[in-house]
Amino acid sequence: MSTSAQVHVPRAFGKAALPYALVAPAILVALGIAVLPLLYALWLSFQDWYLLRNPQPVWGGLVNFEALLTDGALWRAFWRTWIWTLGTVAVEIALALPLALLLNRDTTIARLASALILLPWVMPFIVLGYGWRFLLDSEVGALHALLQFFGIAGNSSILNDPNLALAVITFISGWKGMPFMVLALLAALKSIPDELYEAAAIDGAGPWQRFASITLPSIQNTMLIIGLVLGILAFYSFDLPWIMARGGPQDATTILGITMFKAVFTDLRPAYAAAISVVMLVILAAASFLTLKLGRRP
Amino acid sequence: MNRGNKRLRNALLDILTIMLLGLVLLPIIWVFIASIRPDADIMSRSLIPMQITFDHFAEIFSRGDFLVALRNSLIVGSLVAVCTVLIAVPAAYSLSRFTYLGRDFIGFLILATQMLPAVAVLVPLVVIIRSLGLANTLTALTFTHLALGLPIAVWMLKGYIDAVPRELEEAAVIDGSSQLGAMVRITLPLIRPAVVAVGTFAFVLSWGEFLLALALITSAEVKTLPLALQTLFDPYSFSWGVVMAGGVVIAAPTVVLFLLFRNQLVGGLTAGGIKG
Repeated sequence: MSTSAQVHVPRAFGKAALPYALVAPAILVALGIAVLPLLYALWLSFQDWYLLRNPQPVWGGLVNFEALLTDGALWRAFWRTWIWTLGTVAVEIALALPLALLLNRDTTIARLASALILLPWVMPFIVLGYGWRFLLDSEVGALHALLQFFGIAGNSSILNDPNLALAVITFISGWKGMPFMVLALLAALKSIPDELYEAAAIDGAGPWQRFASITLPSIQNTMLIIGLVLGILAFYSFDLPWIMARGGPQDATTILGITMFKAVFTDLRPAYAAAISVVMLVILAAASFLTLKLGRRP
Repeated sequence: MNRGNKRLRNALLDILTIMLLGLVLLPIIWVFIASIRPDADIMSRSLIPMQITFDHFAEIFSRGDFLVALRNSLIVGSLVAVCTVLIAVPAAYSLSRFTYLGRDFIGFLILATQMLPAVAVLVPLVVIIRSLGLANTLTALTFTHLALGLPIAVWMLKGYIDAVPRELEEAAVIDGSSQLGAMVRITLPLIRPAVVAVGTFAFVLSWGEFLLALALITSAEVKTLPLALQTLFDPYSFSWGVVMAGGVVIAAPTVVLFLLFRNQLVGGLTAGGIKG
């Protein structure tokens, strides 16, 4: 390209094309892994494709979406997913807020702790899932012994209890996501000017009043945005309920991600699974839009 | 409030911090401890080990299926790290240094893929990969794992390149270097800590990834570590100690590299700039 024999036009073209050429591989990956699959899922959701009946997809129109509406198990999974999502975010905020307030100090211990607190967030689901299964195991689990002592668990692990399994796995999901919220809240807390607190202290405001009138308003926006991001992640969960309980016992922890996975791999209905993922995307977009709209109002 | 009072208050809050941190991390600590104690000792359910043993680690490292999975995870993780860096550095440079039609949209497109959870694209990806005949291959797994760390890598590196003064490159160009040459010889060494960090990040994300591996891989010879951990639940000779040791093997690089990576991010660019 830099040989002197070349004329001006290709050189100018080369110069204009350079930035595109540099970014092209990244675009190809984004297209191949996100855009193309999403468009393909949309197309697939209008196909009639049950692998045991027809090996190739045929046009089915709205057949999958009609089936969705009358699928009782899917509707139960749908409501369960909302309980799971809101529960996860609630646990995240409940654990993260006191921790962030505690870590918002300039001591060695606080700095060290705000690094170590990241561990649940960075460790793979597979390790934490089996770790918690171990703790809750009825033969060797220390936590199981504790729960048994308080009469919450019987002789069998609470992961086998259809009523408690969802609650305990939701808590674990919140525990894993909590560090991200701590990190965000810490950043928000650090940006509050000290003068505000000093002025409030001079005006005679107590600790609780200072928290309610200075701290909370300054961090509620962060809490909303990060809560939304973590909520989206929770809505699309699969790993934790699958690793810990395979969606059981009796579908008690079957959230939409697991329903979709089973629709492909157990029921062999990929087009139906694609329809579920399209509906999930639409619901999510609507919910995110509403949350942001409500958050902006005050 | 006088100074002594404030120091006492901070000391008390520090103690509270340590206690709460211990409680939050207790499940993780328990996994690590269970991996180095005999199964009979694990049955006691106490946290303090009576005996320490490395038998569990010896056992998993003598298992053929676990070693194959270890090799596969290393291959996929390294390829993902190298490809992420090779794709992200030029892309970040392009987004940072040039103004051109569609740049903001391209930046948004790349960032948007980060927001997209794996579950959302799982079904079409599996169908596409199967119809390409790439199911049960490490190639397919590597390609899908690129999505885990690439978008964030592009955006992080863009931030770092933004912070490198253009004048440094311009000086090199005046001295007769091409713009790409200036990037490789001037900018790249300055952002090296960030490049290492995003490569590490991509490796770690691939190393622990479960869902895509579960959906794409079924045959034993291409299984990665998270899938191999499941097979350690042998119905005949099942030992919690062995499973926890397997968990530690999967968690260890994540924990070590992440703690390193954190420091690197903070020190990052300034240290690189000063040391030249």
